[in-house]
Amino acid sequence: MKNFYNDNEKKYSNLLNDLKNLPKINTPENFEFNLMTRIQNKNFGDNKNPKINFSIYKFLAPSAIVVTVILLFFLLYPQKNEIQNQVIKHQSVADTQSLVSNLSNDNKVGEQLISKNEFKPKMIKKDISNQNTVQEEKSSKIQELLNQRSISVDDYLSGATVTNKAIQRSNVVKSGEEPIVDGFFVEKQTDKKTIEKYRNALDSLRKAQLKLDSLKKAQK
Amino acid sequence: MNRQLTELTDEELIKEFQDNNTLKAYEILVKRYKDPLMNFVYRYLGDKDSCTDVVQETMIKFYLNKDSYRSFAKFSTWIYTIAANLAKNELKRRKRRTIFSIDNNDDEKSLQIEDKMFLQPDRATDSEIKNEIIQKALLKVKPVYREVVILRDIQDLSYEEISEITGLPIGTVKSKINRGRAQLQKLLKNIYKE
Repeated sequence: MKNFYNDNEKKYSNLLNDLKNLPKINTPENFEFNLMTRIQNKNFGDNKNPKINFSIYKFLAPSAIVVTVILLFFLLYPQKNEIQNQVIKHQSVADTQSLVSNLSNDNKVGEQLISKNEFKPKMIKKDISNQNTVQEEKSSKIQELLNQRSISVDDYLSGATVTNKAIQRSNVVKSGEEPIVDGFFVEKQTDKKTIEKYRNALDSLRKAQLKLDSLKKAQK
Repeated sequence: MNRQLTELTDEELIKEFQDNNTLKAYEILVKRYKDPLMNFVYRYLGDKDSCTDVVQETMIKFYLNKDSYRSFAKFSTWIYTIAANLAKNELKRRKRRTIFSIDNNDDEKSLQIEDKMFLQPDRATDSEIKNEIIQKALLKVKPVYREVVILRDIQDLSYEEISEITGLPIGTVKSKINRGRAQLQKLLKNIYKE
């Protein structure tokens, strides 16, 4: 190893000689005076502009605040595109729905009363079964509608025939100005006949109730 | 007392300065090392004004941080280390400045041997021209190699001292010196024809 470097020194002998013979550069004459003056005056040339230390912690607080504000904005800001029940918006449909729910409640009450008093009028059963079949029919209709490309809800709700228009299902359900809500559709389509049937059923239930009351009175 | 101080070694002088805050001891050390450091820094940076500042800073750092010197090290290696670090910092600062400057044509500049026919009268001697060419070539050598070549071949320090100053193992120092010399020889191929 030593020989290798010695050989190299021979190889660069001319260069090394020239490097050694380079003129020596000396300090200026006033070097010491300047230095001692600086020391006596305590002028140590401290940085007037202290180095600004980049620290990630300095950015933590403001970034946390920004993130919090963004999160709060998304959490608390009332969403404009909130999905609403379009059926409830539509008064006629809403009325129908409430009627249907009332009917089902009445059916339950009637069934409870009948089972309690072992009174089973055939008509009630028949009406309930009719209701079920009507609902099944309606659901199959809805399925058919879904399979179609477009529907007109207004026409359909008013009982008119379904016409195929070049409107998307979602656009029919929504007003069109609001964003598309895909996957939402009117679950229960009703028409006048159905409403009439439900009314009849309700009347029969009331009659049954009256009969029941009269029977109770007679028993007493 | 003054006579006695001048007879003391570097290590004894710094001890005197550390223990008794004797300014005279400091002055003697400054006298001893100002020129060697100036020569080293000038060969490393190639600019007299900035190298005077670097040597001044070195002496100021020595004055302020005298207690950080430990007696087991040689004073010369300690003060050379300070100077080398400051010179490297200056070089970095210059690089940063050249990165942001618009007229950065350093890469296009090539090392050329001047035609003696067109030299100014005060630079007419061969050795002066040669020295200037060598200095220019030295500045073209990579700083890591330049430092060790200067310390070894110009300042005449031992491998061990260079190892202490640079903080590199002796083997690495030797190989770096060799690479530096090779680079320098290649740059000066017009002078040193093999």
